[in-house]
Amino acid sequence: MVRVMVVDDHPMWRDAVERDLQAAGHDVVAVASNGREAMARFPASAPQVVVLDLQLPDHSGVQVTSMMLEHDPTARVLILSASGEQDDVLEAIKAGATGYLVKSASSAELIDAVTRVADGDTVFTPGLAGLVLGEFRRIADGPADDPRDQLTERETEILKMVATGMSYKQIAARLVLSHRTVQNHVQNTLRKLQMNNRVQLTRWAIEHGLDEGPA
Amino acid sequence: MRVVVTLNMVGLNAYRRDNFDHPTVGLAIVVALAVWTGLAIWLYHDRARRTPALLLADLAIVLAAMAVTPWVKSTEFNATIPGFWVMGALLAWAIHWHWRGGLVAAVLIAASDLLPRSEVDQGNYGNVFLILIGGPIVGFMCASLQRMARERDAAERAAAAAEERTRLARAVHDGVLQVLAMTQRRGAAAGGEWAELGRLAGEQERSLRSLIRQQDTVPAAAGGRVDLAGALEAMATAHPVRVEVATPGGAVLVDAHVVSETVAAVRACLDNVAAHAGDGASAWVLAQAGRDEITVSVRDDGPGIDPGRLGQAAAEGRLGVVSSITGRIEELGGTATVQSGSWGTEWELTVPLA
Repeated sequence: MVRVMVVDDHPMWRDAVERDLQAAGHDVVAVASNGREAMARFPASAPQVVVLDLQLPDHSGVQVTSMMLEHDPTARVLILSASGEQDDVLEAIKAGATGYLVKSASSAELIDAVTRVADGDTVFTPGLAGLVLGEFRRIADGPADDPRDQLTERETEILKMVATGMSYKQIAARLVLSHRTVQNHVQNTLRKLQMNNRVQLTRWAIEHGLDEGPA
Repeated sequence: MRVVVTLNMVGLNAYRRDNFDHPTVGLAIVVALAVWTGLAIWLYHDRARRTPALLLADLAIVLAAMAVTPWVKSTEFNATIPGFWVMGALLAWAIHWHWRGGLVAAVLIAASDLLPRSEVDQGNYGNVFLILIGGPIVGFMCASLQRMARERDAAERAAAAAEERTRLARAVHDGVLQVLAMTQRRGAAAGGEWAELGRLAGEQERSLRSLIRQQDTVPAAAGGRVDLAGALEAMATAHPVRVEVATPGGAVLVDAHVVSETVAAVRACLDNVAAHAGDGASAWVLAQAGRDEITVSVRDDGPGIDPGRLGQAAAEGRLGVVSSITGRIEELGGTATVQSGSWGTEWELTVPLA
């Protein structure tokens, strides 16, 4: 049983997701229809997993992700999006979300994703893998003194397979690795992406003299 | 500016007051011109008061002051009473009626300056020449500036309208996608005819999402370069095989010829999936873009190609796949490789960017 919070501005979806999760034996501890409500209810309900629609009326999906994880780093954020706006998805993942699913996924896929994200696993779609590959490619093609981490060859290889729709099991069989190893590699790519995001923020802060504090 | 030329006019006339045959009348004229200056500044300030009548009055006063000069000073006068003060009315005409206004005012002022003079020296000529050149040019520049300002305003309005349309479209699209996704989900759960409805909703949802992504990456198709990611999405959406496209995010701008050939090669891969991988097969397309090359991977989850079958086909002269995929990519200086296994078949097309 996982304690879940559902954040979605469409009541129809909120109810459907809530019903599916409850039917699967999970505990929906809170629901919210916008970023403000979500932030107000998050601390008291202390969910393990937040199922979050990025298209909130106050345009705050990415911000909500980082605020929640700042408040409780053990919480997990699973992005559930209808339109899959590329920039927003990538930003939310950089901000610390560990799963991404499009709304057309079946109930079974959603429930599986919630369980996996709660276990600390990452949930990728082929589309997200493509975005992450693109992001690392941009870092590779950028200035040589960029302190941000690159993907290893193995990580790139595995991410490419995820991006072409292969399951972890298929990848493990093709590369003669264990399922767990494949999982770890995929998790590492997200961890690097999130670390890189922090490096970037820190560097930005240094460049703007924000690290020195009041003189 | 009017204040400066008025001070100049008052100062010069005061300095050379002994040139006047009728100093009292001269003083009255100077005072009148100064008062008119103050009045004109106030009148011109409000757009609604800038009528042709005001402009005519402005120029008429200038011409009158010029005309009385020979009588108030002497017929052998050196400088007219208004002097450079004529600039105010001249520029007002140039600003209001552009180069035509500038030219008319300049000609009238020049004429009133030259006609009463007994002789024209080089200085008079120079002043008149500057007026005749300056009036129309200032007018012309004003017209250009006003046109540019209008164009900029129009462009800003168009951009704002487009932004608003995009925002509304996003809201509408998001709502439609939500409903389609929900129909798909419920339909699958209900089974039977509803499942078919759900499947149709799913198809529509995928094509709408793909359209939105194409729109997101559409902006700069400049200099014969087009967006490979958008083109792949568009082709895959229209293809009968169920395809999911993964792109690096944002537009991948590549030479138009490279895009059309690469997309054609990917289409051939998908045709191949439709022909050999069975009805239920799905395919995935992944586009990657580096600084010096693009890579497109196409995978299907069919049973895979028997190793050597491609070679055998080539040997038998059935070169369909080879020419439509490998041929196209090699023409672009790239490489096409194929791998197959229990996980399906995967083509990897790599094209260098010259």
